[in-house]
Order: sequence, then structure tokens, then C-alpha cells
Amino acid sequence: MNFLRKIFEETGKLVEKGKPLSWAYPVWEAADTIFFSTNKQTSKGPHIRDNMDIKRTMFFVVIALIPCYIFGAYNIGYLNALAMEIERGIIGNTIFGFTYVIPILIATFVAGAICELTFAIIRKHEVNEGFLVSCALIPLTMPPDVPLWQVFIGTSFGIIIGKEIFGGVGTNIFNPALTSRAFMYFAFPTKISGDKVWAVGPDGYSGATALAIPANPVEYDTASNLFAANTQFDYSTVNMFWGLIPGSIGETNKLLILFGAFFLIYCGIASWRIMLSSVLGLVFTALLFNLLNYLTVDGILQAGGFPNAMLTITPLQHILIGSFLFGTVFMATEPVTSSHTNTGRWIYGFLIGVLTVIIRSINPAYPEGVFLAILIMNMFAPLIDYYVVQANIKMRLARNV
Amino acid sequence: MQKITIKKGHNINISGLASREYSNAPTQKFVSISPQDFNYIKPKLLVKEGDQVSLGDAIFFDKTNPEVKWPSIASGTISKIVYGERRAVLDIIIEVDEEKEKNIESDKQINLSSKDNVKELIHKHNFWPFFTQRPFNKVVNPNDNPKCIIVSLADSSPLANNLSFSLAESKEYIISALSNLKKLTDGQLYVAVRGDNFSFLSDYDFINLIQVEGPHPSGNVGVILNRVNPLNQNEIVWTVHGSHLPVLGKLFSKGVIDFSLNICIGGPAVKPSYIKSRIGARFNLYKDSLLMENVRIISGNVLTGKHVDIDGFLGFYHSSFSVIEESYERPFIGWLHPGGKSKYSVFNAYLGSNKKSFDFTTLQNGSNRAFVPIDAWEKVFPMDIYINALARSIEANDIDEMEQLGIYECDEEDVALCSFVCPSKSDVGAIIRKGLDTIYFDK
Repeated sequence: MNFLRKIFEETGKLVEKGKPLSWAYPVWEAADTIFFSTNKQTSKGPHIRDNMDIKRTMFFVVIALIPCYIFGAYNIGYLNALAMEIERGIIGNTIFGFTYVIPILIATFVAGAICELTFAIIRKHEVNEGFLVSCALIPLTMPPDVPLWQVFIGTSFGIIIGKEIFGGVGTNIFNPALTSRAFMYFAFPTKISGDKVWAVGPDGYSGATALAIPANPVEYDTASNLFAANTQFDYSTVNMFWGLIPGSIGETNKLLILFGAFFLIYCGIASWRIMLSSVLGLVFTALLFNLLNYLTVDGILQAGGFPNAMLTITPLQHILIGSFLFGTVFMATEPVTSSHTNTGRWIYGFLIGVLTVIIRSINPAYPEGVFLAILIMNMFAPLIDYYVVQANIKMRLARNV
Repeated sequence: MQKITIKKGHNINISGLASREYSNAPTQKFVSISPQDFNYIKPKLLVKEGDQVSLGDAIFFDKTNPEVKWPSIASGTISKIVYGERRAVLDIIIEVDEEKEKNIESDKQINLSSKDNVKELIHKHNFWPFFTQRPFNKVVNPNDNPKCIIVSLADSSPLANNLSFSLAESKEYIISALSNLKKLTDGQLYVAVRGDNFSFLSDYDFINLIQVEGPHPSGNVGVILNRVNPLNQNEIVWTVHGSHLPVLGKLFSKGVIDFSLNICIGGPAVKPSYIKSRIGARFNLYKDSLLMENVRIISGNVLTGKHVDIDGFLGFYHSSFSVIEESYERPFIGWLHPGGKSKYSVFNAYLGSNKKSFDFTTLQNGSNRAFVPIDAWEKVFPMDIYINALARSIEANDIDEMEQLGIYECDEEDVALCSFVCPSKSDVGAIIRKGLDTIYFDK
């Protein structure tokens, strides 16, 4: 330990102000405080401070994601074994999966670290640990055999355009991880959408995700019937909860996502208001669409054309299919890009739920709506806050008279 | 009796709380008054080193409001005037002459039937500095007409001087002080108490007694005002520190000037105790009670107090010293620490922390980072103000918005807990003070 401390003290002298290497100070500071907690002291009041800092806050989000990584790896192996019709066992499946997950993880972190450190040096600010969370989130939103160069470009885009050009953590408008996801979705659609990418199998192996089934039915039926009719995967409600189905790496097991949610809420890091209200918004809209479907198909208002099977998805199915829960728990609650007021958080979350169902059900182009819903609400979050704060201002003015 | 319950906030469980008994200490030989303790004044000295002064003599005044003069807090000799940068007066140290203090004559006949009589008496003995106002937390302008006066006897700050103990012998003076304070305003006189303390005050109709419950900052006058009578633009509220009530009471009832004060010393790095002392007391008399070498001595509480050295003095508005260890420790991978007794957090981020009273040190416990709004400030800020939006309007220098968002209701002490919990280690108090300064100097 003393040896390590000595290394940092010696190298620290090289990056002091005025020395030729002083530009590297943010990088040195980041490494130094990772190994040894800072001994920075309070200068004036408050003379004492809480033991929570941004490093630990961000690290806790990463901890909450680790179970999703492990299950995601297992699921890749499991689906592959299913496609290849072989037995590999739990450990074998997990190891097989990690041979896909770890390269993606490395590509993400290399791209993320290069961008963050470069900007820290240019802008002369400290390295903010927030990029660790962004980089931990990105691989979980990817299909298993996404090309690594695409991950690299996507991550760089997300960190630079989603965050750094707005001034870095604390001033960004869009969630960097979702910006990456959206960029890749539109830039490389063949590798991140459709039926071919979600399970690793033999060449040309196809596995439709739960969302794709009611989105592209051969013949109209209710979503529940379509799920039941699918023989390739078990799309029962229970199995969709346990997550042994194709999908992005981190999104499928709902139990582990809920575990992450409770962990973050317990630690006081993520907002339970956003999580709860987006579920409420989703349930509300899904029920509304169920009713709409009932009126147009079974009821009196006979509409012409092909009925939309997406309207028949029940609220519970909406929660379980796709990455709604993952997005709500880990993406929508990102503190900087969500609403900053508690009232605003309720509205913000609710509208994410509403938009998710609308994009999923009514838009024919892409069946997954969560990431777009969250990005749209990221954009409106400051507006929501503005009106919440205006209400407070009006209250104070009214009192003044 | 009005009852208010504050839900948001946090009682910091810091070790070193003084037990309710007095320990003996030698009498003070030196006391000091520091112009730095008063916001927005431009002091002009009326004395020089070596001058003889008596209790209550004017020793400096404020150039921006010459009517207000500051009293000598002892009889004796001006032994030293300490200057800081740009010749700012840091301390006016007076060597106490006990004989002279005993022989001082008191006003025999005091007529305090009207507001003007009370003001005259205060003015005569230069007692205006005991009165501060909100907004801005500065010494009052005697010509102002405050909408109400508020006194908090329910200080909730960590290791605070427990007034129900240290004022226990001053019942009659408290009543005398309060009854005359009431004459200074046409509005209400609010007195905040905690639980059953000071229950004798409920016998007096002129007092609007408020029973506060809940964690810190529930005892702050700003927080109580926000609940009972919010401060609007262009309004002024006067306040007197609870620990000063006996000083005022003695003047009002007997015409005696007596600046004695029961102070408390607490904190993890000191043997905690209550001591009968006086305003502006010097710390080094109590240095035997220190438990370690490397300490930070704070005049006032650990949240808002000022850092003084071992020869330093108690601030004018302070009634306690807090002592914590100066720590330079650098634990290996501290941010990964599982928890236990060595960590304290209002977040549930460490296993089994906060159970026992905690030995806080001066460590900031993290580097300064960009602000990430994880609802930390809001957890401990009980007013109906969007503190985050307010801080942003201050950083943007937008005076209109600051006013609309209620900056007049806030003071540094009300947001000190926000800085304590902030994971980005922001200094919210400094931001609020910056906003108040911007507005003050704009007018």
C-alpha cells in the first residue's frame, strides 16, 4: 500500500501546476482518488460532511447492474444452446455468454474512457465518475453479436454528443447511454433490430422478440393468443418475467431489474417517483388501448382495415416485454436528464409510460418505444420543471399581496 | 400555543454532547469582538490600542449606518487590535478589568413604557448589534418597522447549547426581555420552544409561543418563519439570539450591563462541558480539555461556525465551541468501503452506519464534482422553496428570479445541511450568500 501511495505521490509532482505534464492532472486525480480516498478537507462551514460522494453514488448504480450482466451472459448461452440443440449447463452457458459480453464491455469502456479523459484534459475539469454508469449501461442495451466497431462508434457518439458538448455531467440534456442506443439504432439498423440479432445461433437463425410478434402478425389475433401460438420460445407471462427469451443483454430478467430498482431506491440514489409513475402511465395507456381495441374490433365502432394486435397487449405484458422496466429503472431515473422537482418527476415518469405504449402500439416502424420515449421526455424535462417552479412563484406572489 | 412539525431534515449524530452540568473554569482575562461577525458593515473604530473602555461604551460604528454602534463587551483596556488583509479589523481584544466592571453604575430609573423608550435605552448602551434581521442576516436598522420579531429557544443544530439548561436560572430576565421586545413591533412576537421546555412562557399573552418538533433545521428562525409567517419581498423581521435574552433582560429590568453567557464546549475531540463564561470568550482557557493535538476549533456549531485558532475567541452570536479532529487520512479505496462504524451517511449507502454517535473529522469525504441532483438537498431542506432552482438562478445572476423563488426567506444556516449531505460536495450556503450579496449591493 505504501509503495502504491509513493508512486502516486511521485507522479503527482509531475502533474503539478506549472510542470510540463500539468495538463494530465485530471487523469492523475481520477486514478489517485480511485485508489485512495481524497484527503480534501472542509475549509469553512459546514466543517463536517456526509460520507457519500459521487464516486460511491455512481459505483452503486454499477453494482445494481452487475446481476443483469451475469444473467444476460447466461441467457446468451442458454438461447444459443437451444438454437444449436446442445446441452452446456449453467456455468457453460454463462461462460459462453461472457465471451460475447466482455468484448462489448471492453469496447464501450475504452471508447468512453478516451472521450471522457480527452474532454477532462481539454476542459480542465475533473473526470466525473458518471461516465462509468453510461459505459456500464450501454452493453446491456445491445444485442449479443453486435459488431464491436459499432459499439465503439456508438459509445463515442453518446458520450460526446449526449454529454460532453453540453458541458459534461450535470449539464447534459440527453441520457448519454440512450443517445448511444438511439444513434446505433438508426445508424446500423441491420445489426440492432429485426429478428436475426437477438439470439446467437447458426447462420440465418431467426428469433423474434416478444415485441415483434404482435407487431408483425401473419393474421390478426390478440397478443396473448399470438404469444401462445409462438412455438419457438416460451412467451408465457411467467417466462417473460424470468427472462429466458431473446432481447438486449440486460433487459430480459425482470426480477434482477426489480432487485436493482429496490437497491437504488433503498440507497436513495434513484427516484421511486419516476419508476412508479412511468408504470402508472404505461398501465393507464395500455388499458386505454385495450378499450379502444375492444370498441373497434369487438364492439360497435367497426373500423375498416387491419386491426392492430399491439392494442390488445395487456398492461402486465407491456411491463414484461421489451426493455420497459430496464429503461424505467436505470435510464429514466438518470438524475441529471430527468426532472429535478418531485412534482415534475411524477409528470415526467407518467409521460414516459404513456409515450412508450403509444410508440410501441401505433407507430408501425419500430416496436420498441422505451428509449425513444425517455429521450423525448429528457427533452421536455426542463419544460416540466419550468412550470412546476412557476407554480411555486405564483404561490409566493399571491401570498405577497 | 401553535405546534409545527418539520419532517424534512436530519439530526447529525455527532459525538461529544455536553452533559447538563457546569464545569469550573478560570475567569476570562481577555475577550474580543470581531467586526467580521456582522454582515454588510463597514466598521470605523472609535478606540485605539491602550484606550480604557467601560462596559457598553461604543468602540466602533458602521459607516453605512452611523446610528448603530457596537458596545465594548468588557471594562478594561484595549490590548490589541488585530488586522487582516487590506487592514480589515479581525479582532478587537479587550483585557478585562474585573474591579472596574464591578463598580460600574447601573441606571437607577428606567422608564420603558413606550417603543421609543425601549429604543432609547438600547441606543444608549449600544445594544443594537444584538438585534439581527431577516433577510440578509445583518444588524437591524433601528428606524425599520419589523413585521414581527422571532426568538428561537429551540436551537436544533448539532451539539447546540441547550438553552433550557443554560438559561434555566434566568427566567425573570427572559420574561423582561421578551415583554420589551414585544414593544418594538406592531406585529407578533414569536418564541419557538421544543417540547415542554420554557413552559412558563405560555402564561404570557403577548408571546406567540410555537412548539417545534422534528430534526434540524427545525430550530432555525428562517424555517419557523417559513411555516408561521413567511417573509415576503420588502418585509423585515427582527430576531434576537435566544442565548442573549438574559443580557437584554438584565438591561431592561435593572439597567445592568452584564455580558455573561453560559457557553458549551462539545465535539469528538474535546471533553464536553458547560461553562459559565461571557460573550467573546477566548478558547485557550479551556485547552486542557482537548483530547488530541490536531484539532479544528470552531466557534459556533459544526455546520455554520467559524474556524478559530487555539487563541481564538467566541463569535459575537455564538454560544458554543465545537472541536473536531483535523484528519489527513487517505483510506485505501475508501469509496468501496462496506460500511460499519467508520462511516456516516444520510443515504443508506453504508451497512450499519449511523447507529452510534459518530466522531466526525474535517475530511470532506469526497472530491468536488459537478452537481448531480439525486434529491439530496431536498431531503433535508424543509421550506417550500425549490432550492435547486434557486441555486441555479443565483449562479445565473438573475435577481428577479431569485426574488420570485424566495431567496429572502433563506439564510446560510438554513441550507447548511444541504451542503452536509451533498454528494458533489457543493457549498450551498456560499451560493445563497452570493445571491443575497448580489441583491444587497444591487440596491
